[in-house]
Amino acid sequence: MRWGAFFATTLIIIIIIFIQWPRIKQYSKKDKWAFFILIFIGWGLSMFDLPNMAGPTTWIKALFKPFAPFME
Amino acid sequence: MEKGKISSLQMAVMLYPAIIATSIISVPSIVAKYAKNDLWISPIFASVLGFVTVYIAYELHKLYPKQTVIQFSEQIMGRFVGKMISLFILSFYILSTGQIVRGYSEFIVSSFLLKTPISVIMASMVLLCAFAVQGGIEVLGRLAQLFAPFFIVPIVIFVVFLSPDFDVKNIFPILGGGVVPPLKGAVVPGGWYSEFFLIIFLLPFLTDVKKARKYGMLTVLAVMLTLVVVNLTVLFALGPTTASKVFPLMNAIRYVNLGEFFENLESIAMAIWIVGAFVKISVFYYVVVLGTAQWLNLSDHRVIIWPFAIIIIEFAFWSLPSSAEYTSYLTKVLPFYGPFVQTIIPLFLLMIAAVRKRKKGTANS
Repeated sequence: MRWGAFFATTLIIIIIIFIQWPRIKQYSKKDKWAFFILIFIGWGLSMFDLPNMAGPTTWIKALFKPFAPFME
Repeated sequence: MEKGKISSLQMAVMLYPAIIATSIISVPSIVAKYAKNDLWISPIFASVLGFVTVYIAYELHKLYPKQTVIQFSEQIMGRFVGKMISLFILSFYILSTGQIVRGYSEFIVSSFLLKTPISVIMASMVLLCAFAVQGGIEVLGRLAQLFAPFFIVPIVIFVVFLSPDFDVKNIFPILGGGVVPPLKGAVVPGGWYSEFFLIIFLLPFLTDVKKARKYGMLTVLAVMLTLVVVNLTVLFALGPTTASKVFPLMNAIRYVNLGEFFENLESIAMAIWIVGAFVKISVFYYVVVLGTAQWLNLSDHRVIIWPFAIIIIEFAFWSLPSSAEYTSYLTKVLPFYGPFVQTIIPLFLLMIAAVRKRKKGTANS
């Protein structure tokens, strides 16, 4: 768990919510949900050691593995 | 949603730095690895992908003039399959934006600000781009229009300044290894040319759509010429060592010493290149935000701009533990992933859409 990144992200998220809330108050429920879910995803991801974690890039790399030898 | 309008010219000046900004920095050495001294021919071969992608995007746009690919995929393939395809396309752009930020930041840190934490570079650029995206497509168009000369003119000046150091003989033997090496070298720039598919997100907002195809093709031509010139410049200035340098253009610029007055120009090169990266990242960021808002059927895309700032930076780190890993991704995965998402899938969509239209036509008559 990378505390530094996590705390920095938490702080930034608090700032974002603070500044953006007056603006998003007026939007529909769906928009508010989208905002908070994406924020949550961003917040959650900051807990992990991302560079060394398998992710979408790893899957894509696996998907295109057959072509890789061509570029050796 | 987006109510702004831009002109075809603005679309062109958004696309040109969007494609060029990262490719002139690291692509010459990657191409040199495969094509050696024929590296200047590769961008010409690769440009075919650019023209084809612009054509496909424009044809798709003609069928669905008010929609972007995220929206009309559902019309073509049905709700579920369409949503899955557009999710795949959307995630490509989210991943790409993260990688572009990573590539930009790696370059700045390794060439200039060695002691600065990379996240600071990333955050400062993403912050700036978030503000630009918040301004909407008109602001992006005008920003691109404003900055394009600052980006293009210095490239020309640098080529001129480097010319005293040119060793034109480096170009020989032309096609010494046959046509295969430059073809192989064309695979990587091809990934960059397929980014022209970005126009599918911009075409619905054009005021003069009729000119769009012309401007699109002209931009491909401009990109091709720029890459050829940059590759030649690097070849003439660095010769066979090109492939061993990670950032050959930067290396070449460091050599400039004109009458002992124009020295250390790499700092100006950095400033210019930051401008290019700013336009590029802003365009991609905009596409990500607009695309996601359309995929989720939100009423306004601007709500999700700031959450994505965090997500984009996280994607810049995810699964890329080192710059070697990052370069490997650029050379081995992106040349196939990029055109697959931005040329092949759209071609597939276009064909299905054309067939559906024909069927509808015969059913009605």
